Amino acid sequence: MIPTVGGAKALLSLRSVSHEFVADGLRVPALEDVDLDVPDGQFLAVVGPSGCGKSTLLSLIAGLRRPSRGTVFCGGEPVTAPMPRKIGMVFQEANLLPWLSAIDNVAFPLKLRGVPARQRREAAARMLALTGLAGFEDRLPHQLSGGMKQRVAIARGLVQDPAVLLMDEPFASLDEQTRMVLGDELLRIWSETRKTVVFVTHSLSEAVYLADRVVVLSARPGRIVDDIEVNLPRPRTFSLTSSEHFGTLRERIWRHIRSGERR
Amino acid sequence: MSAPGRLRLGQVGLGLVLLGAWEALPRLGLVPRLFVPPLSEALGTLVAERREFASSLPTTLGEIAAAYVLACGGGVLIGQAVAASRTARRVVLPLIRSAYAVPLVVLYPVMMVWFGLGPESKVAFAAVYAFVPTVLTVAAGVGALNPALAETARALGATRLQQVVYIALPASLPSLVAALRLGGALVIVGVIVAEMLGAAAGLGFLITRYRTLLNSAGVYAGIILVLAMTGTHEALLRRLERRVAAFRAT
Repeated sequence: MIPTVGGAKALLSLRSVSHEFVADGLRVPALEDVDLDVPDGQFLAVVGPSGCGKSTLLSLIAGLRRPSRGTVFCGGEPVTAPMPRKIGMVFQEANLLPWLSAIDNVAFPLKLRGVPARQRREAAARMLALTGLAGFEDRLPHQLSGGMKQRVAIARGLVQDPAVLLMDEPFASLDEQTRMVLGDELLRIWSETRKTVVFVTHSLSEAVYLADRVVVLSARPGRIVDDIEVNLPRPRTFSLTSSEHFGTLRERIWRHIRSGERR
Repeated sequence: MSAPGRLRLGQVGLGLVLLGAWEALPRLGLVPRLFVPPLSEALGTLVAERREFASSLPTTLGEIAAAYVLACGGGVLIGQAVAASRTARRVVLPLIRSAYAVPLVVLYPVMMVWFGLGPESKVAFAAVYAFVPTVLTVAAGVGALNPALAETARALGATRLQQVVYIALPASLPSLVAALRLGGALVIVGVIVAEMLGAAAGLGFLITRYRTLLNSAGVYAGIILVLAMTGTHEALLRRLERRVAAFRAT
């Protein structure tokens, strides 16, 4: 059974997902009863106060952890382990393998699957071109800037052509200008590839600027406290960020975060 | 000339001055020849007695090879195994670290009793001598691995075996090479010292015999050979270290 959202098929579905960590014998609830449907092609941002379990939520969707209760479905199939061909992932740090060139890093997921070398290189070169890194194929990670490394990581996340791209604060360790440029780049890539994106961030502006929809989690244990449709026109431009509507949406999210942090 | 070029020139010049002093000071009578014979005399003895030196090398090199395999092979395996488990790191590493404080050379007479005067006691001593620093270097390197890389590989679909082959092994290469560089040098020292303290053959034995005969040129000829060995080992491992340097950079 594939759940639906307003008639459209949901690609990702979370059904009463809860997760607890065990630390020093104590059970610490991280997420509580999260129900979420993400339709195919949606750009979803997840925000919440620090420590609300945003990253945990992402690692559950990625299959890196199993939820304590509830189930994550991708394309109707329960996620019990990483599904790299369906779900790509980009982390806060680029986490590139320092001994591999940019192109070999991008091709690495294909290598794990035993794809022949020539096909790997072709696919990886296409992805590097898509992320604006044509000409940098043979650079080692330490020869790339922080923004370029994150572009390589995005290319690696997309190289298997997954339906879903999970991004865990991918721009958080970059400076503001690089962050804004990469945000626009991500929107361009998204409009060219039409992936379903789940984007975790602690930047409210980033969430509103990039996403179709913003889900707000409460402080620990994380529960969904608001689910906001961002009906700003696309393509998004910088001038939009000073519009009244942008401000209203930001403020609505901020009220949740502030009341969450106070507790 | 570029700055590194000038530094290089300075180093070569300083080396030549030292070698020149080695030659000149004994010849001028400023240093007794029994203490330090002129460089040319030591080299002359090395050439004149090449048969004897050459016949001592198979024993010494064989002992070094065997101890190298034991110390570095065992050190790498045990270092990796210990570092892989949190409990083992906490229980075993402090013990190994405190073994560092034991002056291991006091164990050599015991090893002669156990293994005799032949090569076995040299191999045993040198292997033990080099083992501890090798284990510690490897364990430190494995402990410093970035766990985020393993997590990333898992998200990208790597199996456990693939995580070891494609992530853990290459990531630990720099510390392995560093361990070999340190452990190998200590193996050479350990074998030579053990041969000097009690043996019937080998380069260290030869050096001690020349000393007993008050043949200083022979002693220094042996020392030059030992230096050549450690120098070659160091140069090879340094080259290897440079090649794996990229594995460390992030």
